[in-house]
Amino acid sequence: MKKVMYLEFERCIGCRSCQAACRECGGHDAKERNYVEYIDFFESRQTFPMMCMQCKDPACARVCPANAIQITEEGVVLSAMEEKCIGCRNCTFGCPFGIPKFDFEENKMYKCDMCYDRTKHDIAPMCASVCPSDAIRFIDHEEMMELRRKRTQMNLIEGKKPSENDKWQYVPEFFGVYSD
Amino acid sequence: MERLERSFYSKASMYSFIVVVVLFMLMWIGTGQFSHMDWMLFGYMVSSFIFFIGITVRLTSWIMRPATYEVLKRSIKNMKTKKRQKRNFKAIGKTLFDNIILQKFIFKRGWYRGIQHWLIAWGCIGSLAITFGLTFGWMHFKLINAETYQMVVFGIPTISMHPDGILASMIFEGLNITAAMLLIGVIMALVRRIGNNDLKVTQRAEFDLFPLYLLLAMTVTGLALTVSYKLLSGWMHPELALIHQITVVVFLVYFPFGKLFHLPIRPMAAAVPMNYQEVVKVDTKECAGCGELYSNDDQIADVQQILGNQAFDLEMDNGNKPSDYCTACRRMIRVMDHLNMKSKFGKVSGPVQTNNGIHVPGFGRERSEEFYNQAVKEEVKS
Ligand code: HEM
Ligand code: SF4
Ligand code: SF4
Repeated sequence: MKKVMYLEFERCIGCRSCQAACRECGGHDAKERNYVEYIDFFESRQTFPMMCMQCKDPACARVCPANAIQITEEGVVLSAMEEKCIGCRNCTFGCPFGIPKFDFEENKMYKCDMCYDRTKHDIAPMCASVCPSDAIRFIDHEEMMELRRKRTQMNLIEGKKPSENDKWQYVPEFFGVYSD
Repeated sequence: MERLERSFYSKASMYSFIVVVVLFMLMWIGTGQFSHMDWMLFGYMVSSFIFFIGITVRLTSWIMRPATYEVLKRSIKNMKTKKRQKRNFKAIGKTLFDNIILQKFIFKRGWYRGIQHWLIAWGCIGSLAITFGLTFGWMHFKLINAETYQMVVFGIPTISMHPDGILASMIFEGLNITAAMLLIGVIMALVRRIGNNDLKVTQRAEFDLFPLYLLLAMTVTGLALTVSYKLLSGWMHPELALIHQITVVVFLVYFPFGKLFHLPIRPMAAAVPMNYQEVVKVDTKECAGCGELYSNDDQIADVQQILGNQAFDLEMDNGNKPSDYCTACRRMIRVMDHLNMKSKFGKVSGPVQTNNGIHVPGFGRERSEEFYNQAVKEEVKS
């Protein structure tokens, strides 16, 4: 996997195509695993897309008592293993981004796995392949770095100067899933 | 306890030792001081020991995981609390009945999956019970006279029966019945795995298919044994017996280490109604942001404890942790923070590392090899 998921929240136009695409995905039982929500409904109609960040050290997997959340060699954090998940919902509370969803009927957690079956072959995930406004992109690492540099410059204009330690706070979070 | 522990290499080896000693003692009692050992079953016996050692080692390391440990710690504490006895009893009973015996939740995933798994699980548990009972000599059958058979459990004579009666044939056919259940279930599972395109993309041959093939080989050879002596007057019986024994040995040795290991961890599902959500879908804890009920106090305390024990520092400006908020608020907090928007939540603690570190992206382009060599040189110097 050479490409990276990259999100730009403010590009979102709230069309929810990504959610429709997610529902279409095989094995998703017509339930979407990503979110499109209002940032602050009383201020504006700006929406944002949100999906799993595929953390380097995933809190969800760390709080799972059944060890049901597996991480692939590329660093993709998979949905709970169907035979192991005991349905405790710890992962939904542990995740700092509020990503894992829970199905009470089937007693299992399900979450965005970045369409691992597609992305492992460098094919864009369902959501990124349909997003009309490029709020969700599946791009080369170099291109992502370029976009991030631009964003920092924008932040500098606003009078905030990132340092080596906190520069991450000045650019949007992104999916860091790449290997050669 | 600590002194005992220190006389072993590890917790896992200590518990394995205890398990082996207990099994050996039970065998000693069951076989009347080893007076009626069934040497035909020797291979099964050795692999059964390996099975129990494997399960013990895997369970020990599983329990030592911080998340598992925390959940079990609270379960034990609650089980000891007098005031909670009614809730504990209800939780364990309900989980045992709905979740483990009937496996209702798998039927909700589809009746086909439900039937398939119920047959596999109970066929497998039944076969294991009979196999262990016979190989460790925990039970055996004694001919009292031409008319009566007696079942002897741990050396204690129990029920007597007529060798042609229904009860007797049920017991003698026990392994055939469980094997038939397994066979049907496994074939259903294989059909699903071959036909279902969604499964095909995610399944892994060594993890998902191997156990099914193994179960298939075991049940087919086992049933072939019965066919051989009932219908074919023992044709190829010794060869079949050997092949069957080999498949069972492989199965028992594999069980603790592969997909099938989910069996011993499933009972922990009882911890959910016992410690956390007492009534399904009824939450009691309020979100610190929007006030919506989203969880319960004990569960959030455990989640924060588990994350803390693993050095996750997610505390926010206002002293709250992300898990104090419902999932929707948590998403909003992240986004507002990253768009540099003023939010009612305050600032989040630094970014969560979402980069898996295979490349370390900085602000500039990828660093040249020279940079790293320099660092190594400096390290060598100092
Ligand atoms: C009695 C407690 C058990 C519970 C609660 C349990 C639970 C589960 C669950 C939830 C699944 C996922 C099924 C699906 O979503 O379709 C599963 C799969 C499976 N279980 Fe169990 N299990 C139990 C015992 C066993 C035992 C004793 C075996 C022995 C061989 C076993 C063998 C399997 C196999 C082979 C699969 C994979 C089926 C497939 O290929 O789709 N289970 N189990
Ligand atoms: S579910 Fe949450 S904690 Fe787990 S990898 Fe995704 S963003 Fe990280
Ligand atoms: S709900 Fe399932 S995947 Fe999530 S923490 Fe509990 S056991 Fe693990």
